[in-house]
Amino acid sequence: MGNRPFLRSALAFYTLLFISFLYAPFVVLGILSFQAGPEGGPQFPIIEWSVYWYEHIFGLTPPSRVAPLPIGEALIRSLSLAFMTMVTSTVLGTMTAQAFRRRFKGSGFVFYLVVLGMIVPGVLVGLGLALVANNLGISRTWWGTAYVAHVLYTFPFAFLVMLAIFNRFDRSVEEAAWSLGVTPMRTFRKVTFPLIFPGVLSSMLFAFTLSYDEFPRTLFAAGADLTLPLAIYGTFSVEIHPNIFAFGVLTTLFSFSILAVYGILMSLSVRRARRASIQEDIE
Amino acid sequence: MAYDLELIGVEKVYDNGTVAVRNFDLQVEKGEFISFVGPSGCGKTTTLRMIAGFESITSGEVRIRGERINDLPAERRPTSTIFQNYALFPHMTVRQNIEYGLTVKGLPAAERRNKADSIMSKLELLDVAERRHEGLSGGQRQRIALARGLVVEPDILLLDEPLGSLDANLRKSIQNELKLLQRNLGITFIFVTHAQSEALVLSDRVIVMNRGVVEQISEPYELYTRPETSFVAQFIGRNTNIPGRLRGRDGDHVVVDTAYGALKGCLNDDSLSEGADIIAVVPAEAIDVHQLTADRSELAERYQGNVIEGFVQTADVVGHTVSYVIRLPDDREVLVESHTEKYSDAFEAGSSQVYLSWLPNEATVIAASSKGGR
Repeated sequence: MGNRPFLRSALAFYTLLFISFLYAPFVVLGILSFQAGPEGGPQFPIIEWSVYWYEHIFGLTPPSRVAPLPIGEALIRSLSLAFMTMVTSTVLGTMTAQAFRRRFKGSGFVFYLVVLGMIVPGVLVGLGLALVANNLGISRTWWGTAYVAHVLYTFPFAFLVMLAIFNRFDRSVEEAAWSLGVTPMRTFRKVTFPLIFPGVLSSMLFAFTLSYDEFPRTLFAAGADLTLPLAIYGTFSVEIHPNIFAFGVLTTLFSFSILAVYGILMSLSVRRARRASIQEDIE
Repeated sequence: MAYDLELIGVEKVYDNGTVAVRNFDLQVEKGEFISFVGPSGCGKTTTLRMIAGFESITSGEVRIRGERINDLPAERRPTSTIFQNYALFPHMTVRQNIEYGLTVKGLPAAERRNKADSIMSKLELLDVAERRHEGLSGGQRQRIALARGLVVEPDILLLDEPLGSLDANLRKSIQNELKLLQRNLGITFIFVTHAQSEALVLSDRVIVMNRGVVEQISEPYELYTRPETSFVAQFIGRNTNIPGRLRGRDGDHVVVDTAYGALKGCLNDDSLSEGADIIAVVPAEAIDVHQLTADRSELAERYQGNVIEGFVQTADVVGHTVSYVIRLPDDREVLVESHTEKYSDAFEAGSSQVYLSWLPNEATVIAASSKGGR
């Protein structure tokens, strides 16, 4: 490819375009979050650089005509919901993938049934769930109906991650444990689980992040108490102030820190293998 | 006294109707080294896995020391399994791997340590005891797997191609270790391999399987020199199989009519009657090659009529063995193997016409039809 300068620069241009589309909105958002307040709006030019909107989020500014973002409780709700969803979906996903290690009657059908949860349009699922709940006289709540909707949505992701992990899993390690007199339950806890742990981490990450910013399903299923994405959306309908941008920056930083935790846990569990393979290279 | 291991009409049929193992009968005495050999898919590993408890038994019975174990789960059977890829626990040190079976049995730490130390010193693993196994050599890992399987003191050790992923030299030395270990411990070993040489070297008895059926159960020498079925004749050793028809008996031998005239051999199946389709099996090592200048009638007398003509197609000398491929008039190829020094005047490939001869005692006459393969 070295002697094809045109292709090379075309690909470079494409990459550049890709990166700018990916990050430009975020950069713009970041810059505008430092707009002066409370009179500055969500557009250029920057009147004056300030951290007014950050202070505004935490209620550190004197009262003004801009109402504080209604995010305190919504944030707690979203985090709790994401956590509950993460635990449920990962446990379900791991168990289902474990079941799929052996072919069973109707396994093809069950597979599509599970995967359907991530294919069906979210709005339909949310609306349908709301209608069913209404008909059955179940009140819609973020910890009830919305939780079910989130698990329905994230469970297939966790399942697919674990399925891939089990595909590469060496079954004979478990058989070796059985043949040493270890019961299947104990084998799963002491042998299988430590070995599939990186996969479990990945499916937890998937489930958490997908649930944390889930919108269409939650919109209909959550009821009166809003989750964070709904609360943010609610503020759009009045007037947009740069405090939303400031909050966007903060929540992105939060996502990054979750990724960092994931990365650290991952590298801890992978490091051993790497150390060993380096040793093997030396020998 | 009960057998250490007994299979009674054991069969394995998969859900889709595939028959993996058919009507397997076997009795194994305590301390025997038994090998299962056969091409891949012959059912040898499936049988081993049924004994281990990893595979359900469709019908028949498996007994260990007289006790039926069909319905015992793997973890409650008195067997240990050694796998080709070692199947060590990557998140544990060598010592933890070896002690794990004892840990789950609830042995106190001191006793675990003693037992592990004693097996590790036997297998020269003490200096790697606290390491993880990933950095260790294939031979070391195989010994760890052996130590882990043996430390729980199984009645029977099941080995599934345990030497399959080692290189040739290491194979040889581990083979010897394995044999010695088995002799010392006096434990029954069931060894699955596709390498017949391994089975012939190690075993007290070898079981040849093909398409789910047991073709022959014999001691190695017997198996090598007296195949019972045409499959065994093709699979074990390097034999020439000459088809023909049984004519009749002549003292200890039988006479068979073939495309190369009447030949003599030993009958290995008394149920065969005159006129039956047979195969005369001649091992590559049994055939002598002579120059065409030799006196044919003298040869015929010496070899009791087992003389045929052919011409040398290829001649390969590898170290101290020489192997010839001799083509017969009807294009059948015959493999001859011998020590290099036996033929001072080597036969040249492509040109020499020769006589081939062998003693009737060296040739085995078997039924033409096989048991499993049809």
